[in-house]
Amino acid sequence: MPLKTRLRLPALVLIALFVVVVAAAAVLGSKSAQAQAEQPIAFNHSVHVEELGVPCLYCHSNAQRGQSAGLPTLEKCQGCHSQIDPGDSQALQDLARYAEENKPIQWVPVALQPDFVYFSHRPHVNAGLNCESCHGDVGQMTVAEPQGDMNMGWCLSCHKKLAPERFVKLSDCATCHK
Amino acid sequence: MSQQISRREFLKLLGAGAVTTAALSGCASATRLVKREPYTSMPEYTLPGTSTYYATTCRECPAGCGLVVRTVEGRAIKVEGNPAHPVSQGHTCARGQASVQTLYNPDRLQNAVRQAQRGSGKFDPMPWDEAIQVVQDALANNDPDSIAFLLGLESDHLADLVNEITAAMGARAPYRFGALGMLDARNTLVMANVLLFGHPGLPVFDIAHAEVTFSFGANFTETWLSPVFYTGAYGNMRKGTPGQRGYLVQFEPRMSQTGANADEWYPIKPGTEALVAQALGALVAEEIGIPTEGLFADVDVAAAARESGVSEEDLHRLAMMFAQSQRRVAIPGAGALGHTNGLDAAKAIMGLNILVENLGKSGGVSLMPESALGNTQMPSTLNDLTSLVEKMNSGKIKVLFIHGCNPVFELPAASGFADALQNVPLVVAFSSFPDETALQADFILPDHTGLEAWGYQKVSTASDRITLSSLQPVVVPVQDTRATADVLLAAVQAIGGDLAKQVPYENEVAFIKAKLEVLVGEDGYYAASDANTLWARWLQVGGWWDSDALLIAPDLTHAVEVLQKQPSALPAAAFSGDEAEYPLHLLVYPSPNLGDGRGANNPWLQETPDPMTTVMWNSWIEISPDLALELGVCDDDIVRVTSPAGSVEAVVYVYPAIRPDTVAIPVGQGHTALGRYARNRGCNPLQLLDIQKDASGNLAFAATRVKIEPTGRKHQLARMEDRVGVYGDRYGELYR
Repeated sequence: MPLKTRLRLPALVLIALFVVVVAAAAVLGSKSAQAQAEQPIAFNHSVHVEELGVPCLYCHSNAQRGQSAGLPTLEKCQGCHSQIDPGDSQALQDLARYAEENKPIQWVPVALQPDFVYFSHRPHVNAGLNCESCHGDVGQMTVAEPQGDMNMGWCLSCHKKLAPERFVKLSDCATCHK
Repeated sequence: MSQQISRREFLKLLGAGAVTTAALSGCASATRLVKREPYTSMPEYTLPGTSTYYATTCRECPAGCGLVVRTVEGRAIKVEGNPAHPVSQGHTCARGQASVQTLYNPDRLQNAVRQAQRGSGKFDPMPWDEAIQVVQDALANNDPDSIAFLLGLESDHLADLVNEITAAMGARAPYRFGALGMLDARNTLVMANVLLFGHPGLPVFDIAHAEVTFSFGANFTETWLSPVFYTGAYGNMRKGTPGQRGYLVQFEPRMSQTGANADEWYPIKPGTEALVAQALGALVAEEIGIPTEGLFADVDVAAAARESGVSEEDLHRLAMMFAQSQRRVAIPGAGALGHTNGLDAAKAIMGLNILVENLGKSGGVSLMPESALGNTQMPSTLNDLTSLVEKMNSGKIKVLFIHGCNPVFELPAASGFADALQNVPLVVAFSSFPDETALQADFILPDHTGLEAWGYQKVSTASDRITLSSLQPVVVPVQDTRATADVLLAAVQAIGGDLAKQVPYENEVAFIKAKLEVLVGEDGYYAASDANTLWARWLQVGGWWDSDALLIAPDLTHAVEVLQKQPSALPAAAFSGDEAEYPLHLLVYPSPNLGDGRGANNPWLQETPDPMTTVMWNSWIEISPDLALELGVCDDDIVRVTSPAGSVEAVVYVYPAIRPDTVAIPVGQGHTALGRYARNRGCNPLQLLDIQKDASGNLAFAATRVKIEPTGRKHQLARMEDRVGVYGDRYGELYR
């Protein structure tokens, strides 16, 4: 009996260690957060939203209809910018060059959920939520900035303010981790 | 393939790699960099993250299976069968599934090109208006008799359009060719149908409802005629009727997947199919008590048994089974018809159906009804193609347009097509890929691939009702390609005059819409009261077809008369190659994955194991274990296969399910062009075939004998199957 116990203990320690290593690798290796990187064009949200009063949904029109808010096509940018002289603005010259070459602009998303999270803009927008509620006051930003961690606690901090019968569904694991 | 890594080393490397990956990912920063690439111009109807589905038609073979393709943000993601479509019934084969890799293939031609020196592979891009000018000049400045079109097997809108153009110009109707048609002996089957029933089309075999099916070399679950349709029917045969499990008997020298699924498999001697059918017919007639005249009179059953290798006892038992069953059908397949006596074999096997009067009945043989868009045009016979080659050689053909086939690769070298091409002053290819034939052209004006194309297809290989299948682009064309129909119409319009008046269509879609007008108000799967509704439903549903099965019974009395007049002594199959020098029968068969070879540049298809041998990425030659022992070769030995017409090298696969006097090589590999995945891989056995014809003027593709010599070299085939001990100790010895 004592022999068996002696054998069992290191085995348990090894198993526990293995579990910890695997869990750590899973958590750290999943790389859920988006790296900070420079945008290909220093797009100025403040000019578009605050000064010109362009609604968010004009460019991110899919937010109302689908999971992803979407990014505007170059064609949409040019809808206005083909009429605007780039002057000495670096950003506008960059845009003109993209348009000339018909080359897609590789934007770096700042608000990004990891692959194991199911998130859809549609129910949030259609529930009457403002874009600012999650994305901050974009009208005051030049290049869009990430808002907090956008992690599970952050989601639940809003969901738990809802009526109890709605919170049941919106705190269910399978709602977001399908 | 030169670098060999042993299993042990491979596992070591794998382990080391896994440890390194785990260590690195565990220590790396917890961030990633994702970039988003929005469209410069968004395709219509697309929502980011939302799938859009389009109904269209598969173009990987001529069967015309209906597809539903899932697209996300303008990219084709996944191909599935169209559940409402009478041919595919919700299914596809591997080739259909892999068609997205045809669309996104890196070796596609990206624009129209001029090739200053044929065969050089040096292409100069050219704008499309210049390309159209080339076609326009070719059509306008040459005598119509000196212009020839060579199209693929599909009975599609392009074939109809080219027929209209050639008729308006006074040129010959297009030649039609495809290796799948050649290796199915489709023309021979059509010819038998014409002689017996006066119907110039393929018969449909209702195996779905048959109790007993005798298949003479019809590999209908892999490649024969319409494999998705017949595989579905096979499923129904087995378990579609409660309380009945259909019984399948396969006669073929080399076991196909269909043979492997059969209840009984008879490896009969190549060329004796007609004798077996005659013997069975005589015994069936005796059993059901009808007088035998003509074809089935005075049949020597013992001799048939001796010749074919099926015992007399088995012949009697099978004949009883056939005679006593309620619903029985006999199928004249490729293996039976690909001999010099192929037409006789087709008549004898169809004769079994005529004897038991299963014509137009459930579980029997029927004729395909003719569609409202007119008759389907059958492929050219080898006689037709030989006359084309002669005309090319004598300088009578000044312009040759080639679309939808790759004759330099697919026609036997002995046909002389490749050499004849050198004598044609202008060759224009419309291939999407730089294949062997396109490389011998002066201009390549690439057509869209199937998933980018408009069109329709009149299903002519197998369906239980009139079926017209629609094609529509599921994505915006990926490359700067142009529909061949549009190129031809633009050229015709530019020529103007009478020709433009007789072919008055503005573009491809206008042509299709004009043809579809006859369907307005027609009652079918749906009925549309006006042209716009019809067009919307046509695209949504994936075509137009009857709501109910419509099987047409051929005229029995005429068929019986023909058989009564047929003498019972049939000519024996003749073979090219002296038996002493070339002792082995060669059977070439289309690969279920690569088809006629156009799938060879598709990595998914190359990676798909062959159903019978599990070999991937290469050609192999199937040799029986007895023959392997006799020749002193074993798995993975390279042998030289020589016929009177040519010689290739292939890697041995010891295959227990083949006659010792027969060897088999799949068709599809051995490309010298087409693309990076296809080139310089395996061998093309079509180059071994000698030109032997049957009575209908078609290639007897199984009528060539070969000899085999070991080269002493080895090449390890990539295969899923274990290498040791599968077939017992005796053959295991060979592998040590």
